[in-house]
Amino acid sequence: MKIAVCVSHVPDTATKVNVGAEGKSIDPNGVTYVVNPYDEFAIEEALKTKEKIGDGEVVAISVGPDANKETIRKALAMGVDSGVLLKDDQFRDSASVAKALAEEIKALGAELVFFGKQAVDYDNSVVGQMTAEYLGYNCISVVVDFKLDDRKVTCEREIEGGKEIVSTTLPVVITTQKGLNDPRYASLKGIMAAKRKTIEEKQPAAAENKVEIIKMKKPASKQPGKVLGSDATVVPELVRLLREEAKVI
Amino acid sequence: MEGNNEKIRERSLIPVLLSHHYMIIKNNPEEIQTYLVDAANYKGFCEEVVFPESENDIINIVKEANKTGKKITVAGNGTGLTGARVPEGGIVIATDKLNSIINIDCDNQKALVQPAVLLADFQSELKEKELFYPPDPTETNCFIGATIATNASGARTFKYGPTRNFVNKLNVILPTGEILSIERGKNFAEDNKLTLLTGTGSEIIVNVPKYKMPGTKHSAGYYVNPRMDAIDLFIGAEGTLGIITEVELKVLPLPQNVFSSVIFFSNEDDALSFISAVRNKSKDNPESIIDASALEYFDERALKFLIDDFPNIPAEAKAAVWLENEFEKKDEEILYNKWIELIEKFNGDIDNAWFAFDNVERKSFQDFRHAVSWKVSEYLVKNNLKKVGTDTAVPHEKFKEFYYSCKDLVENAGIDYIAYGHFGDSHLHLNMLPKSENEYSAAKELYADICRLSVSLGGTISAEHGIGKLKREYLLEMYGEKYIIEMAKVKKMLDPNSIMNIGNIFSEEYLK
Ligand SMILES: Cc1cc2nc3c(=O)[nH]c(=O)nc-3n(C[C@H](O)[C@H](O)[C@H](O)COP(=O)(O)OP(=O)(O)OC[C@H]3O[C@@H](n4cnc5c(N)ncnc54)[C@H](O)[C@@H]3O)c2cc1C
Repeated sequence: MKIAVCVSHVPDTATKVNVGAEGKSIDPNGVTYVVNPYDEFAIEEALKTKEKIGDGEVVAISVGPDANKETIRKALAMGVDSGVLLKDDQFRDSASVAKALAEEIKALGAELVFFGKQAVDYDNSVVGQMTAEYLGYNCISVVVDFKLDDRKVTCEREIEGGKEIVSTTLPVVITTQKGLNDPRYASLKGIMAAKRKTIEEKQPAAAENKVEIIKMKKPASKQPGKVLGSDATVVPELVRLLREEAKVI
Repeated sequence: MEGNNEKIRERSLIPVLLSHHYMIIKNNPEEIQTYLVDAANYKGFCEEVVFPESENDIINIVKEANKTGKKITVAGNGTGLTGARVPEGGIVIATDKLNSIINIDCDNQKALVQPAVLLADFQSELKEKELFYPPDPTETNCFIGATIATNASGARTFKYGPTRNFVNKLNVILPTGEILSIERGKNFAEDNKLTLLTGTGSEIIVNVPKYKMPGTKHSAGYYVNPRMDAIDLFIGAEGTLGIITEVELKVLPLPQNVFSSVIFFSNEDDALSFISAVRNKSKDNPESIIDASALEYFDERALKFLIDDFPNIPAEAKAAVWLENEFEKKDEEILYNKWIELIEKFNGDIDNAWFAFDNVERKSFQDFRHAVSWKVSEYLVKNNLKKVGTDTAVPHEKFKEFYYSCKDLVENAGIDYIAYGHFGDSHLHLNMLPKSENEYSAAKELYADICRLSVSLGGTISAEHGIGKLKREYLLEMYGEKYIIEMAKVKKMLDPNSIMNIGNIFSEEYLK
């Protein structure tokens, strides 16, 4: 069985990001990029599923520029069998990424597809579901427990205030949530092997963007704090400022 | 609020402070609480805490204290583990306001800083400039000045040595209020005598004590040797010889590629032999491509402490080793193969070992090392227990024997413990976790036994934390009274009125 896992390459949430000169994208300078953290759960679940079945092949797919190869390499180092980069240097919206992925998954013939529940760059949380729609696959999102029994799939998914158990059949797209598993570290042999493997580069299917980024800007920076004093005598002044200046009480 | 501060000033025991209206002085018990303890949870008391904003402020306070005989304790950020910054009366000089990085000179690889710069901030500031400062005590929330006062060490001490190796220049306000500027390589002892020339031109002659320091990693009592550099006397002196007010540090280019791994073993002996082999290949062996910069150990009990936060720890692991190795990109493949070979030779679990794919993962392994220290602290606080933790280092060839003996001692006494440490430097943190007052007394006895054993094997009682107020009796036992008296004489020369950081390293009675 072929299992696909779709991965994105995103800024590490610990690094400071700046808006690029044209005001429409993130300036990559000085930004550390990492594998989207939710995609690590997807990679782990794909590998665990393959190990459980005892045979099969896990393919990592990413849409984007050359830099995304680093993320594919990490997936390979963790144990994924092969990687495909659908190379595109231009901005693609969620639907157009989904379209490109759906075409590639179809060509591969993968019936089980894992995604992270969202990418922490744009946080749209829709690419998995859209891909399922383009493919005509079933879809279960925000999964915290996954079971595959022959062609039957049973999942637990997080919903507001509780959990829901859902079952369906292959072919299916699963989007993964924290709690599903503990992603493994790459093994040293895996890292070495990953360095040698070639990552297949392909032209992604053409698709029109339905969303246009008009402008990106950073949130207003916080005002510096004010120290009024360090004992009870300043409380009246504090109350006055909270009421009159900050207007929060 | 003004009025209230004025009141504090009126009550202030040091009248000179009245002329420094901007200087913050606190004596409200709630506000000064944090200055009365350290991370060892050793508690003290004081009259007030002052926050000087310049070298001059410090000079004025110290001079005035000499007139009134008021004792002074210098505070860093309170992460020390020996009670060294905890006052027992008098005033506390908090260095907090002297916190700027004055200059980072990339071309000449040096930096000028004030003492209260946080180590973590300094490191990240350097990183942006592609530079790096090797000393890395596991707790990075400490002040640079204090790391010099304690000659702090860390994982990278294995390759780079302790803080001492990176101090080029110091400004020190002596306990008399005089300023001393010292530069490494300029003033050496002759015939066990050091001549110090202060800013006002007076000359102080110090007789260098004649004890021989152990050849291991060591940070206990004054650094001495017959031809020593004057600057070394003030590094690791735990604030007893003066207040550090400005420092020039040596920095290095940031290593671009670092191999980082946590390797699990199914028995301790293999792990310890692996550490010896890595040490041998790394030290004094320029040909070897294996060149660890950090080499740290965790026993099974330490791993159990961490498993909730790091669920990838294999359940059956009996020991783990975390290591780093800086390398050149061109050597990557050979290096990886060498490591695989060495890990397999010592039966390391290669399939379950962790290897950092990038710097984000590398940082998570460093957090793993840090977590073991703070997890112990958290456990102690939660269960209202007191820890008794060793800081011993012994000669490498004696380490295995020492380690097993210590474990036997503690296990036979039935006391809970965890063991980890900088084993590359043969440096053991065996933390006993006594569950009752009785066990606590027994643990203290064992602690003394372990210190004795370490000394008898040619080791030290403290490799990095220092002596402070908690470990004086063991230092006394290590060097003997004769040499403690020689140390006290050094202090007397520099602190004739016995006012600064009294009670650190040796007890006050030696100053009488
Ligand atoms: C979880 C944990 C892990 C740790 N791991 C390590 C480790 O791996 N290696 C290690 O070496 N230590 C370690 N420590 C101990 C501690 O972090 C170091 O001793 C550190 O150097 C103390 O810095 P501080 O700013 O907190 O100083 P404080 O505790 O406030 O003071 C320490 C000493 O420095 C003196 N001092 C402070 N500033 C000055 C100054 N400007 N001039 C003169 N004297 C001064 C104080 O009087 C006192 O004697 C650890 C502590 C914790 C809590």
